[in-house]
Amino acid sequence: MLPFTYALRNLFRDPARLFQTVGGSAVVVLLMMAAVALDDGMDRVLAASGSPRNVILLGKGSEESVERSEVSLEVEAAAGAIPGVASVLGVEAISGEITYQAPIRTASGHESQALMRGVLERALLVHTTVALREGSFPGPDEVMVGHLAHRKLGVSADELGVGQLLYFGDSETRISGIFEAPGTVLESEIWFDRNNLASLSQRDSLSSVTLRLDEGKTDEAELFAFQRNDLELSAIREDRYYEKLGLFYEPIKVMTWVTAALVAAGALFGGLNTLYAAFASRIKEMATLQSIGYTRLALLASLVQESLLATLTGTLVAFVTGYFLLDGRTVPFSIGTFTLILTPSVIAWGLVTGLLLGSVGALPPAIRCLLPSLPKALRSD
Amino acid sequence: MTPFISIQSVTKIFQKGQSLIKPLEDLSLDVPQGEFLSLMGPSGSGKTTLLNLIAGIDRPNSGKIIIDKREVSGLSRAELTRWRARHVGYIFQLYHLVPILSAYENVELPLLLGKLGKAERQERILAALDLVGLADRADHRPAELSGGQEQRVAIARAIVHDPGLLVADEPTGDLDRESADGILKLLGSLADDHGKTIVMVTHDPRAAAAAHRSLHLEKGRFVESPTGHSVSASPSR
Repeated sequence: MLPFTYALRNLFRDPARLFQTVGGSAVVVLLMMAAVALDDGMDRVLAASGSPRNVILLGKGSEESVERSEVSLEVEAAAGAIPGVASVLGVEAISGEITYQAPIRTASGHESQALMRGVLERALLVHTTVALREGSFPGPDEVMVGHLAHRKLGVSADELGVGQLLYFGDSETRISGIFEAPGTVLESEIWFDRNNLASLSQRDSLSSVTLRLDEGKTDEAELFAFQRNDLELSAIREDRYYEKLGLFYEPIKVMTWVTAALVAAGALFGGLNTLYAAFASRIKEMATLQSIGYTRLALLASLVQESLLATLTGTLVAFVTGYFLLDGRTVPFSIGTFTLILTPSVIAWGLVTGLLLGSVGALPPAIRCLLPSLPKALRSD
Repeated sequence: MTPFISIQSVTKIFQKGQSLIKPLEDLSLDVPQGEFLSLMGPSGSGKTTLLNLIAGIDRPNSGKIIIDKREVSGLSRAELTRWRARHVGYIFQLYHLVPILSAYENVELPLLLGKLGKAERQERILAALDLVGLADRADHRPAELSGGQEQRVAIARAIVHDPGLLVADEPTGDLDRESADGILKLLGSLADDHGKTIVMVTHDPRAAAAAHRSLHLEKGRFVESPTGHSVSASPSR
């Protein structure tokens, strides 16, 4: 084997080429990490948003979207008959809710699509991850906002602070509190008093009724929806609802991967080209080393080693860049926001990408460099 | 006495497009151990092809090449690589030193293929550099050396693993007269004092004159030398 220092010093023969290879591999690895982090982040937020103990009662035929669903007000009361509904201090964990998407305007005049949920206070018995961080539950003409709602609206966090005003059509509402619901889509929502939202959105029905049931009792809600045919209901476990919602976002994930793959392919071919040039300029040197007695395999190993050093340096650059650019960044999507996290799996994907780039990517130029016959290679310029 | 190099009816054919080229045809040659042999001839005469066959860089299409009692013409590419690593030192016209390595590290390259420890390698490298008169330039990179010094480092690299055979392709072709004379004297002493068998390709009659015997090749066959040097394919010594 050739000494490791040979591969190491070869890297610095041409600093411009080294920069290109390191930069190219950093871009590819960063893109790969971003794609995996997006995928993971979306999956994580959807998985965290649904509880296996909660069941959502939706209007029949609206199982795909709670916003399109209509459920009559009497369902909330009727759901109390379902066996196994959890209760806290005698209050049943049943929450009839209005879910609504419409433009909302901040005090600065910025207007964007908001996710609104009209609830009563007992919604907190169902959505157990929700906790007030600041302020109070909203009363009439008040809202409480999820602490990531500003990311969804595209405004600064200060614009959605307690006491700030929001405008929904001609109506003015005051922010009474800020809540958190760690890792769920709820954190991007704006919660209204239910009656208030019903009046603002001119609805006389609910969008859904969510129940919290005791362990193993979720089938009872499905049975209820089946038996109460007159209410025209569908029951779906909350975690399964978000799981299905995840399928809706599959095309977006595919597009993310395709975009990442296209950009990565460009960077990869650029990197290969650089390696071709770097190795091709050393055909005679490789031939000399063969004439001394080094096998092609030993030379191939050294070239791959050299390439790996460059791409792993790029991978390290990608990790550092990813730490500052990606880690902790919240990304808005249609039903909320999710956070990009450099999890061990994201890091592992980045590392594997860097290793593959350095090893598999180096093979074509290295083989091309070592392929000519020895007498011919010794005569090359 | 068995010759150190025995070339028996060797033919080498190259394919160039549709046509076949025979740089060497039915060529035979014996070289005893310790001889310094020069091969001369015009471009395309087949002298470098012959040198490459002797060095195990290439293989003949027919005929036998026996070096130090071992038939090398039948070895596979991998076997030839291993054989070269132990038995051959190659000296190139343009030195072919690795530019990113120091003189010391360049000379060390053949030794890294063996099992010598660091201390023993160091001893051999310094001895080889000392023999070529460059012990004080061990840390210099090729770019910091003159052409003559680079060729001396290349010779040190060729001899450091103590091969029986040295092949040199125009070793003085890129040097000024003074440096060239120094290199030829060094090659002569490697044959005379250290028993190395040396085959050198050259265009330079002065370089050829430094060898024990000189052969002239034309169109793949030994011919009468226009300068009157010996043309015998058998040793005269």
